[in-house]
Amino acid sequence: MTFLRRLTRWETGLLVMIGIVLAVGSATSPGLLSTYNLQTIAINNSVLACLAFGVAPVIIAADIDISVASTLALCGVFMAKLWGGGMDIWLAALLAVGLGGVLGLINGVFVVLLDLPALAVTLGTMGAYTGVAFLILKGAAIVDFPTGLLNLGSGTIAGTQIELSTVVVVGLLLVLTFVVHVSPYGRALFAVGANRQAALFSGVAVTRTRLIAFVIAGMFAALAAVFYLGNYDTAQANIASDQLLPAITAVILGGVSAYGGTGTIPGVALAVILLALLQSALGLAGVSGQAQTIAVGALLIFAIGSGAAIQALPGLGRIARRRVPDSEPTASP
Amino acid sequence: MSVSSSPSPRRSAVRALTRHNEIGLIGLIVLVTVVAEAAVPAFRASGNDTQILDNAALVMIVAVGEALVITARQIDLSVAATLGLAAYLVGSAVGHIGFAGPVVGVAMALALGAVLGFGNGILIERIRMPAIIATLATLSIYGGLQVVVTHGSQLYSSQLPNWLGNIISTSWIGLSPLVWAAIVCVVVVGLIARFTRWGRDIYAIGSNPEAASYLGLRTGRRTYEVFAVCGALAGLAGLLYAGQYGNVDATAGSGFELTAIAAAVIGGVSLFGGSGSPLGAALGALLLTEIENILAVLKISIFAQQTLQGTAIVVAVAGYSLLSRRLNRPVRRSLRVEAGQSRPAEPSEPVSSEPTEIAEQGT
Amino acid sequence: MDAATETGAGAPDAPAAGTTIVELRGITRSFGGVRALRGVDLSLRAGEVLGLLGENGAGKSTLVKILTGVISADGGEILVDGRPTRFGNSRDARELGITATYQEPMVFPTLDVAENIFAGRLPTERGAVRWRDLYAAAKRTLDELGVTLDPHTPVSQLGIADRQLIEIGKSLSSGARVLILDEPTAVLSSREIDRLFGIVRTLRDRGVALMFISHKLDEIRQITDRVVVMRDGAQIAERDSGNVPVSELIRLMVGREISDLYPARPTNPGEVMLEVKGLSRDGYFEDISFTVRAGEIVGFAGLVGAGRTEVAQSIFGIDPIDRGEILLEGLRFRPQSPRHAVKCGVAYLPENRLAHGLVPTMKVPPNMTMSIWPKLVNRLGVFRTREMNRQASELADRVQLQAGRLDQLVSTLSGGNQQKVVLGKWLAASPRLLILDEPTHGIDVGTKSEVLRIVTELARGGVAVLLISSELEEVRAMSTRLFVMRAGRLVGEFDCPVDADTVMEAAAGVSGAIA
Repeated sequence: MTFLRRLTRWETGLLVMIGIVLAVGSATSPGLLSTYNLQTIAINNSVLACLAFGVAPVIIAADIDISVASTLALCGVFMAKLWGGGMDIWLAALLAVGLGGVLGLINGVFVVLLDLPALAVTLGTMGAYTGVAFLILKGAAIVDFPTGLLNLGSGTIAGTQIELSTVVVVGLLLVLTFVVHVSPYGRALFAVGANRQAALFSGVAVTRTRLIAFVIAGMFAALAAVFYLGNYDTAQANIASDQLLPAITAVILGGVSAYGGTGTIPGVALAVILLALLQSALGLAGVSGQAQTIAVGALLIFAIGSGAAIQALPGLGRIARRRVPDSEPTASP
Repeated sequence: MSVSSSPSPRRSAVRALTRHNEIGLIGLIVLVTVVAEAAVPAFRASGNDTQILDNAALVMIVAVGEALVITARQIDLSVAATLGLAAYLVGSAVGHIGFAGPVVGVAMALALGAVLGFGNGILIERIRMPAIIATLATLSIYGGLQVVVTHGSQLYSSQLPNWLGNIISTSWIGLSPLVWAAIVCVVVVGLIARFTRWGRDIYAIGSNPEAASYLGLRTGRRTYEVFAVCGALAGLAGLLYAGQYGNVDATAGSGFELTAIAAAVIGGVSLFGGSGSPLGAALGALLLTEIENILAVLKISIFAQQTLQGTAIVVAVAGYSLLSRRLNRPVRRSLRVEAGQSRPAEPSEPVSSEPTEIAEQGT
Repeated sequence: MDAATETGAGAPDAPAAGTTIVELRGITRSFGGVRALRGVDLSLRAGEVLGLLGENGAGKSTLVKILTGVISADGGEILVDGRPTRFGNSRDARELGITATYQEPMVFPTLDVAENIFAGRLPTERGAVRWRDLYAAAKRTLDELGVTLDPHTPVSQLGIADRQLIEIGKSLSSGARVLILDEPTAVLSSREIDRLFGIVRTLRDRGVALMFISHKLDEIRQITDRVVVMRDGAQIAERDSGNVPVSELIRLMVGREISDLYPARPTNPGEVMLEVKGLSRDGYFEDISFTVRAGEIVGFAGLVGAGRTEVAQSIFGIDPIDRGEILLEGLRFRPQSPRHAVKCGVAYLPENRLAHGLVPTMKVPPNMTMSIWPKLVNRLGVFRTREMNRQASELADRVQLQAGRLDQLVSTLSGGNQQKVVLGKWLAASPRLLILDEPTHGIDVGTKSEVLRIVTELARGGVAVLLISSELEEVRAMSTRLFVMRAGRLVGEFDCPVDADTVMEAAAGVSGAIA
């Protein structure tokens, strides 16, 4: 169906790059494709995947949300605190997801209803949410979560080698893909991102669409928190603060335009896989964790740059003439 | 609609005040200081005020550069890594090269920063990446380079030359050299922004990029230049960082980009471009630092600070937005492309002789 | 700042009145098969105000774009000071002293008046701006224009009339020799118009060659010395403004008899579908009252800027309403948003179809079905793409869009086909009231008649249609009843058929056939 046809050149390009990384990586480090390593990759990237999935709809809608990592921290702390107070861990997780939605809604209220710039607002809420997280835990950490949660984080499905977290992440991927690509909401999302005015004038529920996108981002950040707690068995106020940039990188790398209106969720998933494999391969080859960011940055540039080049191919002559375009002032006929 | 507008004296005073929101910011800072001095004994402790200034200095320098970039309707997320890279590289360099005095050190820092900033310019102008993505990429790359150059170790204060190591311990007329450096930066950049043609071009480009290129302002060139300047200032801040903190490792500077943007936003620099001033950004930095100090002195967790800072940003943005909506007249509402959704001007042949509209960018 | 900024042509070397500064000979231009200009000859002379008159689609805006170097001509030549010239871009034209101001002034809102006037030409000394000189020069320019505006005022605080003046100030201070004013009075109050005319006369007396483009016949007669009438891409006639009667101008503009380009009007109006009573929005329109019945096409004629689009957008929920009420089939209707309006059965085809009617990055089917997306869902919450395609295909038939076009991005379609897609979108919504705003603007003749035929069929099917059009012929031919708006008010109601002059006079505010 057309959905498969919509797996455009971008996703194909990602698949190609994944292939290259796999090929080169496993040649240099045979352990790359070992079950153990793949499991490690899966565990280590479930948080990133959730964050990236969540923030993708917001960017598609031509907004932005840089508070997702802080939302993660606050929801994680909230969940830990509830559990520490005696609540069942899964109920606490559920409530945390609810909190995530609320935090996302707060962003939405400021950006959509009050019409404030999204970058500034989410910059502010980023600080505010981290701050509240600190206020709750005051720098302490909560550890020793129940095995059920830890299983989600790093356990496998009974009898197989497949990570439980991977299964859940794939499940979330399917759900979000449904919402963004199959449901009518998704149609509205792309229309709003591509041309907000036209969508508005065509009767699309623009305000609601944008608000829901922020709520999704918040909820997925909370889900990411659940994974985090399961993976690392620690809840602290500053968790995952280093995951924001990788998440946004994954979204852009996944083919979502920074201006909104285009991109796919499976593309984001592929980007997460690509980044994860790349980092693992580099790590195994001895490149330090933080230096890996160079490769990530270079990859981003390469992806956008070649994407732009590919689009410009039909009009190669135009690129040369593209210096200072004269804009057309309005004139009546 | 009135025929010609010469606003009444009172309105014009209000308008003047809001156009020069720096006055309001200074007032706010003074107010906060006065209240703190009165209400919080520990605030009055000796050396506290110089500590505030010392803490604010680096943020001010980076914020001032960031303000220029934002005024041009761009953004630079890579300043943190530029700062860190310069801190280590230039710090070690001046440590090793015996004869390198402050002038050489500063020159190296500015040059390194400018080169890194120029890299941003290439991505944005040549490869046509949106600034937020381009500087996200360079933030990653330069950050990674930080790790590579430090080889896992760090720079120690003992390795620094005296002139750098004493940057907060000496005192010139009551202020440390660090603070003086910041003041110089603020003044110089502020003057350039306000009084030079280059600066006014930046404002014009941020205010209406299409009109600017239509009128022949060299938008491409200015983009390169503004990112180079921002990078240079971040580089300078890096060198001073080494002096202030002594030890420089691979994580130096982390988080600075957001603090700088926050300072600029609170200082009245509009994210839509074309308005606000470097001075405002510096005052925003000062205000933020002062509040941080008060909270620390009150033993309110560092943690509440974040909440307050975050709230301050949202309040500032909402406040400025409200104010500008009150004061600015909406030009015929009906058929406007919304601010904030501007895209790089695409060259195109009109499909038919349709009137095309220029995106209006209000503050 | 160069010497030219000693405000313009008032200097001793002003050209003698009557010298031809710019001459166009045989200019032709087409856009993708649509011929916008078919061999236009025109000359702009120093010390003269030339009026350019013509309906929508006559080619005026294309001509202006060519004169200002924004686009190039396909054929013919341009002579500046007698020498054949090519403009590579608008900068070239500006450097030769050819400037223009438009309805939507291009300004830097966050900068002040002085900086706007001298943008790109700030007086500097070794890189630093000479502020005192700047403000002095700005003041001088404003004084010459007879405008009391503080050069320190931020332009964001100024209304459109003042912004226009700033643009004129820009031209004046850069020593422009030619100033083209494109529909400058469309959004001005009468006081502002008087002020503008004073400035125009001042400039003319200084030897500037002015071109004044307007629909408003009384203004043309008031301010211009000569008037050229354009129609269908060519200049039809040239007259001396002082001597020509309005009726003749109208006749020249409107030209031929109503051809069978237009379908027969629907004849069976049904119940009252839309009733508007005393609708007002401060600053835009005042006390608008009219009705539209099912099966009727009610036309809204008037000049650009008369306020018709604003009325439509208020009915559709885009803009607020200050006073008055709207009834849909007798029931009170308070539109809160376009979505609400659509749900209540109102549809609006906007003037600017690309920016407001279509999502350019999407293909035809999603665009065509956008108004009914919420309905294309199955029980599982899945968006029924196949159903969307089916409906799109049906709609494409109804609007006579070639099947091959369905799979294309709408940005690649011609203007006419794009409009069909937008029309299809509203057909899909089965509205009871369809508001069309300049539906055939920028569309070739063939597609135009198709679009209009569909609209008429819709009306016959019981839809109430409100047709806003600045094309006299079109609005007269299509409507069963015609309202005329001028400066935000309803000034005429006619049953069709009605004479073009009658309508034009009401629209332009000129009474009777004045000799």
